[in-house]
Amino acid sequence: MKEEKVTCKEVMQHICESLREDLNSERCVAIKKHIDECSGCQNYIETVELTIDYYRKYNVELSDDAHDRLMKFLDLEDGD
Amino acid sequence: MEETELIALAQAGDKKALAKLVKNYEQTIYNFAFKICRNKNKAEHIMQETFYSMVKSLHQFDGNSKLSTWLYRIVSNHCLMLARKLKNRSFVSLDDEDGLYEEKYTADWNTLPYKSTENEELKVILDEAIEKLSPEYRMIFLLRDVEGLSTEETAQATELSIAAVKSRLHRARAFLRNELNRAFQK
Repeated sequence: MKEEKVTCKEVMQHICESLREDLNSERCVAIKKHIDECSGCQNYIETVELTIDYYRKYNVELSDDAHDRLMKFLDLEDGD
Repeated sequence: MEETELIALAQAGDKKALAKLVKNYEQTIYNFAFKICRNKNKAEHIMQETFYSMVKSLHQFDGNSKLSTWLYRIVSNHCLMLARKLKNRSFVSLDDEDGLYEEKYTADWNTLPYKSTENEELKVILDEAIEKLSPEYRMIFLLRDVEGLSTEETAQATELSIAAVKSRLHRARAFLRNELNRAFQK
């Protein structure tokens, strides 16, 4: 079987398209091989993952006052 | 009590069940609204409108999707409606896909002084980066990557095709990663 060659740019695009997707095509095998050997692409994956992680961890808490205003707005009462 | 029982009771007019459903989802909806509009007052307003819509139309919920996906659809619509009212904002265009993958300078993310999202400087960087994205792209990134919905659920919540979700998602990921990379080089 002829080995498929891919460039860093194609790998970056692939990472952004298919992060967390389960892919096993011939092209994906070539991309995985490229990533194993390319520190730039490994860094790119890590930083895309970190980007997602930063946004995932950046949360805000609903205050008790905001909860009370919501229940009042909806004419509902807190249960037990 | 199981959620399906709570929904059935709420649909039959049980206010305690309705209040419990609201309580179960208020934090999620508020947090999501904040992540879209990056403003606590607007997020609270969107949360109130979302639950008001839920109360009004819960009888139409048929259980074909999860309640959470249904609520994400409602809150997404309210976020988009608010964004369209604030028309004076302009957002970055992600049409030039090639430009998204030509990042020549890579900051060393391992030596960043702030690793925690409790860091105020990092919060500003995260806010500024995502605010450049139009709400349509922001929403897809947040639903799929941050809230953890599947691609199919994200498509359901936004009423977009799976192909459109994937396309917007990978552009948003690449754009945000590049924005943070640039900010971290400074």
